[in-house]
Amino acid sequence: MFCLRVRRVVRHSEKVSTLILEREVPSKPGQFLMVNVIGYEEIPLSLSSPNSITVKAVGETTKALVKFKGGEILGIRGPFGKSFTPSNRALIIAGGIGIAPLRYLYHWLNAEVTVFYGARSRDELVFLEEFEDVHVSTDDGSYGFKGNVVQLLKRSNVNFDCFDRIYCCGPPVMLKSLYELLKKNDALKKSEFSIERFMRCGIGLCGSCVLENGLRVCREGPVFRGDELTPVFERSLYKSHEDR
Amino acid sequence: MEVGRLNLKNPIMLASGILGSHVGSLNRIAKQAGAVVTKSVGLEGREGYKNPCIVTWECGILNAVGLSSPPAKDFARELRSFNKTCPLIVSLFGSNPEEFVELVKIFDFADGFELNLSCPHAKGLGLEVGRDFDLVYEIIRKVKGKTNKPVFAKVSANLDYVELAKVCESAKADGIVAINTVRGMAIDIVSKRPVLSNVSGGVSGKAIKPIALKCVWDIYEEVNIPVIGCGGISNWKDVVEFALAGAKAVQVGSAFYHSYDVIGNILEGLNSYLRINGLRFEDLVGLAHRR
Repeated sequence: MFCLRVRRVVRHSEKVSTLILEREVPSKPGQFLMVNVIGYEEIPLSLSSPNSITVKAVGETTKALVKFKGGEILGIRGPFGKSFTPSNRALIIAGGIGIAPLRYLYHWLNAEVTVFYGARSRDELVFLEEFEDVHVSTDDGSYGFKGNVVQLLKRSNVNFDCFDRIYCCGPPVMLKSLYELLKKNDALKKSEFSIERFMRCGIGLCGSCVLENGLRVCREGPVFRGDELTPVFERSLYKSHEDR
Repeated sequence: MEVGRLNLKNPIMLASGILGSHVGSLNRIAKQAGAVVTKSVGLEGREGYKNPCIVTWECGILNAVGLSSPPAKDFARELRSFNKTCPLIVSLFGSNPEEFVELVKIFDFADGFELNLSCPHAKGLGLEVGRDFDLVYEIIRKVKGKTNKPVFAKVSANLDYVELAKVCESAKADGIVAINTVRGMAIDIVSKRPVLSNVSGGVSGKAIKPIALKCVWDIYEEVNIPVIGCGGISNWKDVVEFALAGAKAVQVGSAFYHSYDVIGNILEGLNSYLRINGLRFEDLVGLAHRR
């Protein structure tokens, strides 16, 4: 474990902040840190650039984090996990705070990138101005297409054959719908999903984040090839948009 | 090979507490392991301690997960889809004989049981039970009366383990597993507070190998039931050392930090060593004790 000071905080909205760390962490997009918020808990967070994490206030610890002002010290373990892999023609599909690792990827890729980005409402869309070719949806219609990002993809008649990699990150229900859509289009093998599970050790020992097929989210993941997730999405508690 | 009436596929087992909460990881490890031991389970679910509950340092790992586990009945349902490519040993924790007996009934499909008398960081459980030798005797007697499956007692190095091993033997335990993690802690010098949310925890990995080896040696000298070595084993040479000290089998845990396939890798090296020396694994057991 080591410590890093938060240099500056960008408060995107009431619930979302980006914490800029005092130095870069040698890493690749898709990798995560175990961040110990002293006085609260240690939680896994994706890097949103080599020197930042982007957090949405959900639990007690993340609620404290988004209110940081800069100057605070964080305990850090990592970076851990497998990263996204490079490509030449990329499609990025993000839902909500799932944009965090994909934003790092967007700037890291030396490729032509198309972004599909969905959120609940306009104020939850972060980093939007950084993307060139971006298609946006919001659940409440406050910006872009009214609906979810998978509906927007279907509506836009996206031809998945045009891309050599499809990168996905977002809430479970979105990922499940996306999995089904990509499967139907025979694009699972060239897609990469960053997924979340409750995590304790982050180093592949405790077994908290093990998937149905034995793969560990913290070691073999959090980025998995679409076809590796068949046992996760095809027999479990995951619900798609259609099932709701 | 038989160890305490348990038929092992090979002498390398998965230690309790590592990757043992879900059947997905157990199924994967079972393909290589001589047997797998699940994460310890009690009648009621336990959330465990808050993160940080695990930290690594130069010589090993320090953890205070706090016996987090689902309720026994839920875990039993999970284990029903175990692939049976090796024996399944369920590790149990409880605070009195009745709880252990109840647990044995719930997991009647297991191939054996390991009694957790040694977790160093759970109030009223593990090591705190293991300290009370009369209670340990009662627990093992009652559990043995309820099942004919092999029952192993996992002991701590943080107490008089030789005396405890003798108590376990007199209560007719089928074997002793030595050792669990050793009590320890870490303090963060920047925040100037203990790193683990529980303040102290258990040390595992390379740091405790010599401690575990000495425990196996001592217990082997004093009891006749099989000893299963556990503590800091990360390669085939460690396994040979533990066998020479008297271990009839070993358990591997923290070394999974290096590879998911660590048991397969150890077996490869071990089998080469045995072949070159013209020995069977059984020939090594306790060999270093000869005078």
